[in-house]
Amino acid sequence: MRKIFCYLAALLLFSTTAYPKEMIQLPTEELARESVSPVFDINDSVRNRNIVTKEKFEGAIFYGWALTEPIANVSKLGVSGYYHRNEDDAYGLIFMKNFSGVSHYAKQLNDQYKLDFTRAPMPEASLFFDYNLKAFYGKMSISKNTVTNYHFFGSLAGGMIKYSNKTYPAIAAGLGQKFYYDKKFSFRFDFRVFLNQAPIPFLKCEPGKHEGIKNSATDSCNEPAPSYSDFSERLTITSVIDIGVSYLF
Amino acid sequence: MKNLTLLFTLSFALVFTQSFEADAYTKTGAKTTRKVIRTQPTSGIRDSSLKQQLSNALALAQSGQYQPAAQSLFNLVRRKEFESERPQIKYILGKMLVAMNYSQVAAYQFVDVIRSDNNRYLKKAIEELSIVADGLGDDTLLNYAVSKVDVNDFPEKNKDMIYFRIGEIKLKNKKFEDAAQAFNRVNVGSSYNNQALYLKALSYLEMNKPDPAISVFQQLLDHRKNNGITDTNRVSALIGIARALYQKQDWDSSIEAYSNVPRDHFYWHDALFEQSWAMFRGARFRSALSNFQSLHSAYYEDFYIPESLLLRAIVYLYVCKYDEMEKVLSLYNSIYEPVRLKISSFLNSNTEPGSYYVEFEKALGLKKKDEGVLYKLPYMVLKNLREEGDVKRSLNYLKKIQEEKNRIETSGSFRVSGLGQYSVRVLNTRIKNTKILIGEMVKVHLQNMSDELKDLSEQASFINYERLSSKKDSAKKKIAGKDLPQMIDSNIDREFYVQNGFEFYPFKGEFWLDEIGNYHYLGTQSCE
Repeated sequence: MRKIFCYLAALLLFSTTAYPKEMIQLPTEELARESVSPVFDINDSVRNRNIVTKEKFEGAIFYGWALTEPIANVSKLGVSGYYHRNEDDAYGLIFMKNFSGVSHYAKQLNDQYKLDFTRAPMPEASLFFDYNLKAFYGKMSISKNTVTNYHFFGSLAGGMIKYSNKTYPAIAAGLGQKFYYDKKFSFRFDFRVFLNQAPIPFLKCEPGKHEGIKNSATDSCNEPAPSYSDFSERLTITSVIDIGVSYLF
Repeated sequence: MKNLTLLFTLSFALVFTQSFEADAYTKTGAKTTRKVIRTQPTSGIRDSSLKQQLSNALALAQSGQYQPAAQSLFNLVRRKEFESERPQIKYILGKMLVAMNYSQVAAYQFVDVIRSDNNRYLKKAIEELSIVADGLGDDTLLNYAVSKVDVNDFPEKNKDMIYFRIGEIKLKNKKFEDAAQAFNRVNVGSSYNNQALYLKALSYLEMNKPDPAISVFQQLLDHRKNNGITDTNRVSALIGIARALYQKQDWDSSIEAYSNVPRDHFYWHDALFEQSWAMFRGARFRSALSNFQSLHSAYYEDFYIPESLLLRAIVYLYVCKYDEMEKVLSLYNSIYEPVRLKISSFLNSNTEPGSYYVEFEKALGLKKKDEGVLYKLPYMVLKNLREEGDVKRSLNYLKKIQEEKNRIETSGSFRVSGLGQYSVRVLNTRIKNTKILIGEMVKVHLQNMSDELKDLSEQASFINYERLSSKKDSAKKKIAGKDLPQMIDSNIDREFYVQNGFEFYPFKGEFWLDEIGNYHYLGTQSCE
């Protein structure tokens, strides 16, 4: 546009007066008046994403806390690796190693009632194939000085949980959220509900029933330990929260 | 349908009587008068079977069996024996084709009648041709019909259409006063009224009369007040008012008027860009830069808006943001220089309009760039061409005649008849010619784009020169120890972000759909 030449010429005249130094106040007519969005051929919600996951690998380490586990140690550490097929879903493997020992609650029971759960089979490790469906990608700002992107996703996993005596198949479903510190690092939170067969750690004291137990009314059930096969099994539901850090490669 | 039946009744009588008797008696009430029918001698019709065929065809038409009737008439109209009756038969054939929804083929029958210069059917044929061409959006036929029309002979119910079309032609020929007058004669209740009002206002703007233009746009706005917010006529009126105010150089009012354009209408993008010009002219540089943040977002990467980048660079120059200027100018070069080169190369290597259409056709129907398609022209250019008014109109017309052809192709027996084959031939020719016409339009637009980009590239160089020059002056002042200018975001009060209850986030590089149009540039000027 030829007018541009005229404006450039006017520049010398107005350059110091047209834009006075003052505190900026947004004119009210420039503030949003309506909540509708502009119309484009493709109305996708976000473009030029800060966080691009498509065709990327992701690794994570995390701490897991079993919310509803009464006897076994509620803590575990895990590592996971995912491949993001696109911006909508990802799949990967999760390996979790349980802490040994029993829970704080089980220790209390032992202290107060001499109930020793250490002889029950405990979960040791698990391996799952996990599918994540990324439902939302968003951003939030608390301080107004910075913006944090996040992903909210659903998780569906299937795999095995290894107990001291036996390995059980298991499935898990849950929800997760990742808050990105930058374009690579994120804090990851998962809440999963696991469903699997598992040994019941409670065993009724029936003297003489268990191998090696003395057949006397005064005998203690504590010694020697029952074998793992003495524990019956049942379908168990466990809720677990994972908290970890994740890195996008 | 009633009119058509009446027409056939009359035509049947006319053709039949003309064929056999030069003189006939008709009864008008109780009074018997002798009516002399002025027709060509019917010496050519001697074969009684032909007469029978004609009367059968008309009887079929009368009974609403248009397809067999049209086929028979088509066969008969070429007979030498019916030479003198040809205009009548063609006219009836045209009417039947219209009833069968074969408007383009019908239009050709009316053109033939007009060319035959038959006094009796000339006006009727012009009227029919005007209506058919108007429905099709066929500019060529419409211009032909309008050039021959006498408005006084036109039926009252179609006068609005003819005044509107006359106005359009006058506007195209830059006879703005005449155009405004023609549009003024379109009645308020007419379906052409909204467009007529808009174009009337446009004529006033062309005559540099923004005040009457604003009042006409306001009139259009009032007419559409009960329609939805995003009603296109309403939005056109809003943007028209904003443009008129811009033309009046009433920058603040113009900015306010542009703000009224609803965001969820496709005109909003144009409004945003034009509002940026108004902001610039009104020395509201910060506001203009806010708009550019939206305009140069990833959502507009397929939009052809080279001027906006240069305007942004100039605004930066005004506020002494030389580094930002450099970024914008390099962005301009990286986007539009390849575009310019590709257009030039395409123009140099293609001369035939057909090749322009072929390339243009690739992008038709696509909503975004298809990586699988090998484009010779940049997608943004093709997309822009697709939005050009004349191209759009011709594409609509092309679509209509292609649909007409498809209907014939799937019509079974009609397709294999002589009339069906003729119709397909006519439509094929029309389709081919329309594609050539669109190709020519594309070529002209490409040439304009090429010229524009060449001009803008020169201006980009000039702006860059200004940048370097101003930067040098600034460096000199800095060395001389004068105060350094404020940097972007160096003096922002916290309250600023949360005023009026709005949530403000810093921009971190990604663009969200619901944020487009809501960006606010918070930098201050860097000039001393």
